[in-house]
Amino acid sequence: MPTWNTLGSRRLLLGVLSVATVFAAYVWVTNLPDNNPALLPPIRDIVTSFFTNLTDGNLITALGASLFRIGMGFLIGTTLALVLGCLIGWYQTMEYIFDPLIEAVRPIPPLAYIPIIIIWFGIGEFSRVLIITIACFMVCVVNVIAGMKNVPQVYVDAASTMGATRFQVFRTVAVPAATPFIITGYRIALAAAWTTLVASELLAAQNGLGFLLQEGRRYFLTDQVMMIIIIIGACAFIMDRIFRKIQARLMQWSEARE
Amino acid sequence: MPEIIVDHLTHTFGKGTPDALTVLDDINLTFESGSFNAIVGTSGCGKSTLLKMMAGLFDPSDGRMTLDGDVIRGTDRRRGMVFQQDAVFPWMTVAKNISYGPRLRGAGRAEQREIEAKWTEMVGLKGFEDRWPRELSGGMRKRVDIGRVYANDPDVLLMDEPFGALDAQTKERMQSDLLAAWAQSRKTVVFVTHDLEEAIFLADRIVVMSARPGRIRHIEQVSLPRPRTDEMRLTDEFIQVKRRLWEMLDH
Repeated sequence: MPTWNTLGSRRLLLGVLSVATVFAAYVWVTNLPDNNPALLPPIRDIVTSFFTNLTDGNLITALGASLFRIGMGFLIGTTLALVLGCLIGWYQTMEYIFDPLIEAVRPIPPLAYIPIIIIWFGIGEFSRVLIITIACFMVCVVNVIAGMKNVPQVYVDAASTMGATRFQVFRTVAVPAATPFIITGYRIALAAAWTTLVASELLAAQNGLGFLLQEGRRYFLTDQVMMIIIIIGACAFIMDRIFRKIQARLMQWSEARE
Repeated sequence: MPEIIVDHLTHTFGKGTPDALTVLDDINLTFESGSFNAIVGTSGCGKSTLLKMMAGLFDPSDGRMTLDGDVIRGTDRRRGMVFQQDAVFPWMTVAKNISYGPRLRGAGRAEQREIEAKWTEMVGLKGFEDRWPRELSGGMRKRVDIGRVYANDPDVLLMDEPFGALDAQTKERMQSDLLAAWAQSRKTVVFVTHDLEEAIFLADRIVVMSARPGRIRHIEQVSLPRPRTDEMRLTDEFIQVKRRLWEMLDH
């Protein structure tokens, strides 16, 4: 019978192998004699582009601008979602007021708001953060509400029969019982933040990772485009990993912790 | 002295609609202070519904219940309840679960510690204070549940088939330990079960209910001496009572 450890290393081995295979295939294709480097730039061009952009400060500026937008949008969006979602999920009056609004707006992709936001607020920093905020809020609030609605009745009854007031049940039972859903909401919001960040920067920005992508397309700098795609992937991956660590800490009590 | 009085209580789900279903019909009962009572009946006799109404989790459609003369409306800490399902909060350690009730009322750190120490010991979980509920067996979680309700110091203990999900050996141990804890505090207990042996072993008085609609069919005074021991389960007297009650149940 395989132990947990050998299972873990088998997983690692196969994971490394699968990434290495795709990488090797890319190297092989780009080294074919009739490969067009303007479409598929060789690895060394991508690496060169990385160092050029790093040393002239372009990349750091863009990364800083993008991370700031994501940070602001994520923080504001998820905080609003947490507060409002808890209230909507717990208090029926709040649900009756806000649920129709959320249900009406939910199917609209956040990117659809970009034109109206530009018309109202221009193409400044505020607009970009606003789009990310909306995206984070919408995906997160749905999860928070679901979490509050899925609090097992027996926990609520147990707390009530011990003398907890409705607000005490909310604070000491409903919110902690909903944390698995809430954390999932935060993780999905983070992914949504990246998606909308790039879209908003592609459309209207003078800096940021999305802007560098756009610039790369305009001047046919395919190596730069490839490089930025990899940077975005790496950043999103690292953030998700950090999030999983936080999740594992907060969810020590849960059977289903990751 | 009667502590709980159930007075002409009738409950109809969906009263006034074509699908109205009367689950309890004109129930009159008194529960003496400090007594151990069991309510038995086949499923559908409304025994759990009756218990939940005693807890205040919902109101009867007709009639009323009083505790020490006060009409029962809504939940409060005077009537603690142990559920059949696992109600231990998984996000709190064993100790934090135990001191949950006192913490609600703003008990200080020192008082919480004292309560945690006393009741983890009392329910046989000493050494498990800092464990998460997921690390415990079903029987141990039930102990946390019972310790938590006891630590909250209610006047009345309502138990809704608390050992229904446990295996036979664990169940018998839990029954003996429950009696030991009860002997020290002598709280009024109302214990709902469909297990006749459990009812006879635990209770002074057994209310037998018939089903659809739930009515009181018989009240049995159990004359087995206390403290009760496991050997009593095999005595002629015990088995005679069991047979008599068994014949009264709807099969």
